[in-house]
Amino acid sequence: MILDARDVRKSYGSLEVLKGVSLSLSSGEICGLIGPNGAGKSTLFRILLGLVSRDAGTLEIHSGASKPLGGIIEKPALYGYLSAFENLLVFSRIQGLKQSGTDIESQLLQVGLSPNRKDPVRNFSMGMKQRLGLAIALLNEPECVILDEPFSGLDPMGIRTLQDEIRGLAKARGIGILISSHNLVELGDLCDRLYVINQGEIVREGPAREILQQAARSYIIYGTGLESSAVLAAAHVEHRTGSVLLHLGEDSIHAILRRLSTEPGVILTACVPQTNLAALFEKTPE
Amino acid sequence: MRNLIRTELFKIFRQRKTYYAIAAVFVLEAFIMVSAYFQGREFLDVFLENLRESFEFQGNLLNGNLIIYLVLNSFWFHIPLILMIVVSGFLTTEYKDRTVEAVLLQPVSKRNYIISKYIAALVFTAFILGILIISTFLLSYLFFGQGDLVVFLEGLSFYSATEAFNRLMIAFLVGSLTMFFYAVVSITLAVLFQEATVTWIVAALFLIGTTLLLRLEFDSEWVNSLFFPKLTDSWQYVFFSEIPYRTILNKSLVLIGYTGLIAWIGIRVFQKRDIT
Repeated sequence: MILDARDVRKSYGSLEVLKGVSLSLSSGEICGLIGPNGAGKSTLFRILLGLVSRDAGTLEIHSGASKPLGGIIEKPALYGYLSAFENLLVFSRIQGLKQSGTDIESQLLQVGLSPNRKDPVRNFSMGMKQRLGLAIALLNEPECVILDEPFSGLDPMGIRTLQDEIRGLAKARGIGILISSHNLVELGDLCDRLYVINQGEIVREGPAREILQQAARSYIIYGTGLESSAVLAAAHVEHRTGSVLLHLGEDSIHAILRRLSTEPGVILTACVPQTNLAALFEKTPE
Repeated sequence: MRNLIRTELFKIFRQRKTYYAIAAVFVLEAFIMVSAYFQGREFLDVFLENLRESFEFQGNLLNGNLIIYLVLNSFWFHIPLILMIVVSGFLTTEYKDRTVEAVLLQPVSKRNYIISKYIAALVFTAFILGILIISTFLLSYLFFGQGDLVVFLEGLSFYSATEAFNRLMIAFLVGSLTMFFYAVVSITLAVLFQEATVTWIVAALFLIGTTLLLRLEFDSEWVNSLFFPKLTDSWQYVFFSEIPYRTILNKSLVLIGYTGLIAWIGIRVFQKRDIT
């Protein structure tokens, strides 16, 4: 385990932002943190990264690296008047890294940025800024990277590219990654484990797919012949073009899919769970 | 620490506003020279009309030394104002762009980071003053020539061209301490207020307040010698007929003490405060 936070508490005046949050992360693991706005995600990340002091609790970082944690909080903060190369140079110098021009260029290439762009980064798209932010977070080879809302402002292509980069960091370089996002699909695809935080408390934790499955109350089923399906006619569904939205009743999704797969004239192509946010953010009964 | 200071200076000189500040200093200088040229002669003629009958002055009194003295008087308000706006921006911009956070996400201590800001602010101030001093002397002598200096401080004083040059140089050096004081105050105000506009307003208020309080006289000499607004005018003493070196030294040392204290307050607050 590289990161272990226990019973972390933080208040701003009378407002208790974190109420005893515990969280851990291992090398090569991708952990997600999900929660509604104001749940305490950014505050928790700021505490883990040492930007904000905690009122109580313990934080252990098991690393011998000179920079154990790297991170981006919300949008990447860059020097807009400097080029990507100069940004990397500045962030390298301040931590005493002696990097040649070639080193910096290869770091830019690693995150998919062209070393030939010499213009200020204020001209960059959000996706490019996110990638440069990631390159800065990875300077000095941290063993753990914390990314707060890294997909916000990115187009679908940008999201996919960044997801691939994050997977590569975890699997190929064994970096532990803690990531937050509002988007359940993004986190479900990417994360090994998921923490759900609401009102300053971790309300659920476990394997990502399991957590999202538990909170799924409806499913979008794609296929042909769905309009005339007797199985779906008996269920609570809303028909859409080429798909139906199925609200679960007493039957499990597995039972319905099994019956549908044997129904003549019906060909299923996909079934996408629709997580119920209220159910997801609800505290798990003790 | 050396890396941090180098990086701070690199950032300062890659920002457009640094060059606006340098341009502002030149524009200010040009204004003073032009207005001195058009108004100074008439003023001096009226002012010295009677004295000319009794004394003989070497050369034209509207000369380079008088212009330099007038530029030096911008140390009261104009130069500190430009400095405070630009220097406080070194930190407020980083708060606004959240690069303070990005820097502190690297293995950099808060203490070293903020100290490097203060040192970079002092180096930048020295750079601006260097430009101001060199250009003022060069341009003033080039366009207005040398000559005796007449100043009015508790009465008229006249200095020969050579003595005027020496006194003006000393005055610039002593006045630089006041500019360093204002630069340090700017960074501390930026630490306290973080937001650029608020910091500028407070910095301007501080400057105006200091200038107004300068005239305040306390009964106690001890209070007068420690009250910081009264420490910012040491360079004016250089134009007394007998330069009170001891007074200038004492005032300068106390002002250096205040500068250190204000920097220490800024460093402590920055270290204690969360980066949110």
